[in-house]
Amino acid sequence: MSDSGAGTTDGTGPKTGVDAGTADRKSTGSDLAVHLDGITKRFPGVVANDDVDLRVERGTVHALLGENGAGKTTLMNVLYGLYEPEEGRVVVDGEDRSFGSPRDAIDAGIGMIHQHFMLVDPMTVAENIALGNEPTKWFGMAVDRERIDREIRDLCDRYGFDVDPDATIEDVSVGVQQRVEILKALFRGAEVLILDEPTAVLTPQEVEGLYEVLEELTDQGKTIIFITHKLEEATHAADAITVLRDGKSVGTVDPGGTSRKELAERMVGREVLLEAESEPAEAGDVVLSADDVTVRDARDIEVVSEIDLDVRAGEILGIAGVDGNGQAELVEAITGLETPDEGTITYDGTDITEWSRRQRIEQGMAYIPEDRHERGLVMPFDLVENGVLGSQRSPRFATSGRIDWPGVRDHTEEIIETYDVRPPDADADAQSLSGGNQQKFIVGREFERDPSLVVATHPTRGVDIGSTEFIHERLLDLRREGVAILLVSSNLEEVQALSDRLAVIYEGEFIDVTTPEDVTEEELGLLMAGQRPDQRDAAGSVGGDDR
Amino acid sequence: MSDLVSKRTAGAAAALTVVWIVVGLLAPDSWPGVLLSIAASPNTHTATLRLAVPIALAAIGGIFAEKSGVINIGIEGLLIVSGFSSIVATYWLGSGSTTLGLSNHWWGLVVGVLISVLFALLFAVVCIEFKADQIIAGLAVWLIALGLAPFVSRIVFGSPNATTMGTFKPVTVPVLSEIPILGYLLFDTPPQVYLMLFGAVAGWYLLFRTSFGRWVVASGENPKALDTAGVDVRKVRYAAVLLSGVFAGLGGAGFALGQLGTFAGGGQTDIAGRGFIAIATYLLANYHPIGALLGSFLFAGLNSMQNGLQAAGYAIPTELIRTIPYATVIVVLVFVGRTRLPEAAGEDYESGED
Repeated sequence: MSDSGAGTTDGTGPKTGVDAGTADRKSTGSDLAVHLDGITKRFPGVVANDDVDLRVERGTVHALLGENGAGKTTLMNVLYGLYEPEEGRVVVDGEDRSFGSPRDAIDAGIGMIHQHFMLVDPMTVAENIALGNEPTKWFGMAVDRERIDREIRDLCDRYGFDVDPDATIEDVSVGVQQRVEILKALFRGAEVLILDEPTAVLTPQEVEGLYEVLEELTDQGKTIIFITHKLEEATHAADAITVLRDGKSVGTVDPGGTSRKELAERMVGREVLLEAESEPAEAGDVVLSADDVTVRDARDIEVVSEIDLDVRAGEILGIAGVDGNGQAELVEAITGLETPDEGTITYDGTDITEWSRRQRIEQGMAYIPEDRHERGLVMPFDLVENGVLGSQRSPRFATSGRIDWPGVRDHTEEIIETYDVRPPDADADAQSLSGGNQQKFIVGREFERDPSLVVATHPTRGVDIGSTEFIHERLLDLRREGVAILLVSSNLEEVQALSDRLAVIYEGEFIDVTTPEDVTEEELGLLMAGQRPDQRDAAGSVGGDDR
Repeated sequence: MSDLVSKRTAGAAAALTVVWIVVGLLAPDSWPGVLLSIAASPNTHTATLRLAVPIALAAIGGIFAEKSGVINIGIEGLLIVSGFSSIVATYWLGSGSTTLGLSNHWWGLVVGVLISVLFALLFAVVCIEFKADQIIAGLAVWLIALGLAPFVSRIVFGSPNATTMGTFKPVTVPVLSEIPILGYLLFDTPPQVYLMLFGAVAGWYLLFRTSFGRWVVASGENPKALDTAGVDVRKVRYAAVLLSGVFAGLGGAGFALGQLGTFAGGGQTDIAGRGFIAIATYLLANYHPIGALLGSFLFAGLNSMQNGLQAAGYAIPTELIRTIPYATVIVVLVFVGRTRLPEAAGEDYESGED
């Protein structure tokens, strides 16, 4: 690791950007760790980056903000040597560079932490950190494990990480895995760290931990570029924000001198409603009801305990809760992926507890699954094939057992256009789309099924704000049309903004059922943490003050 | 849960062994007694070591290929080509004499390994470069070997079976060979047994102590992680598959030159499924080279005991004995279930896919 560290200082020394102050930070621009100058990168049929400039100062956190498909990741892949740009210069530490492979970028002191971690699950933390860069002894005959351990310990001490080098990757939490990725980059002597959507997989507590890590790293002179589509993150953690839209840079701003709304408009290119407006519901008949539903897991532990719920036509019932409190199993029981151990599920007045998926779909149940890779799409299929999934027997697309492919294609192209799926190519494999675009496509397919009941789990997870707004509007449209909607989300803002009634699930039980107007975000947080409403009233004054 | 099952299985096996030994000692003429005397006989032990050679070495080779993500079920074919070509080379150079100061038997070994590596290279190109299905490519290697050996044999020897020639002589290590039991087992034995023992240790070291070993594991578990760490996955996989050719070549040639002294190319050839038993062995050993060595003792031991039983008048059909490794693997996988295939085994990898 030492050889790559030497090349990065280049005489300027560890002068940090902190002393420059917030106001004139842009104008000084003397100590740039990374300067991307007029980068253009084309793919067949798309210009992913169009003459993009990016100036990142040493010792700062620089956010790269943009919607799905705006070209953020492409730009960073150029910097990391995965893509070669058609035009433009990559300047690192004042030197023109041309990276043919990640190896070159690593040697120039650039490290990348990918959204999907590049870790080998059955290997240990230490083995992963050193992978591909193992120091050796005895003329390369053996890995110098003592040295690896020592260097990892040094790095942990220096940056305040608490990571056990001997733990196996598959046994540690996602938050720790991310730290291992950061350590991996530091171990290779990285001075500039690129983090691609680093918070997508983290719990709120882990996100706080990550912010602390970023601060510690920049305090010690490291430079961070992080890719995000979440406004709060950019404004919260970054010293400067560069916004990308449709492959072009639309300027770099100071997070202190801009509002969230302004940023959102820059990002989307038009005015956006950060919160969906919903008029009072006109609820009709009960469409779905669950009665004393109990689900046990493989180890025979109750994960859903005697839950009752009703969803009426034209109503959104929100279920809020920390992931892993039984909402997934409840949804599986309702959608027919699992048969409940006890209780009944009624749909349009019929007992459907024992019905198959096929019967439920035919009855008009749409389902947006939690895991889009596992259950939402067949990854190697193209969008046309994915577009007909679930409707392959419906008379709309199939006659006497044969699928009407031209009809399906038209339908798919409609979904792609309406839901703004990018790239707009019906022949693209599902796996070639980014996560947000996959999600948009699934949402489109399910909403356009003409359902009478929608079960939506985390419908906007990983989706940018422009599309989130659109999905929310469509949900409200469906509600207006009299569709019953069951919305499961761990995003508090989302469930609060959309739901007509709100149930909080904790350890397999509804701990409270309320309406969004009657509960604050703090109270919701406490409910989700398992504090019952009666207890809350007793200890209530703390939560009340914040209103 | 699986811990409990494995404890129970181990307990049951231990209890059965104790019962067998007690009955065997009390009644030496009963069949448990005969079995016990065969199991205790030095002849059985030395035969076990020699019969283990192709299984152990092929298994170690297979571990490297599969750990890197390329399932090489062609090792049966590699054993056949290396065994046969080593005999042909020795025959052409003249059995019993030397070339360039090296015994022609040793030249035979070198040629056998080279031919095996050549076939492994072919397999690697087809799988890694042209992304062929690994199972089908592996079967092809086996089937080609199965046809090629008797065909070439007819040309060279005029019959599917090669001419008989001498085998490697045992190498006796002075002093050490006087140690009871260990002496005759480890220090008074033909060279291919030393090769096997050394190969197992070397395989273990390479896999668990060198950076190459770590790359092999990463290449089979998460090739993308290795790629982004700056290591060329293709090169690692090529190296691992060629290494499987080296190990299988040593196994096949060592077996032919040290044990058979000839090579029957007809039917299933003299290799007779030992490559497939090797695959069962390394699965049983959960990809551990030393474990694979011990596993090969188990299967070779059954084989040599069967020979002993036959000599004692208890004829157990070979075919039945041959099913034991596979049955064992199924039992182990079902009841112990600790064999974990590499995550990316059988999948080809292309850099730059996003």
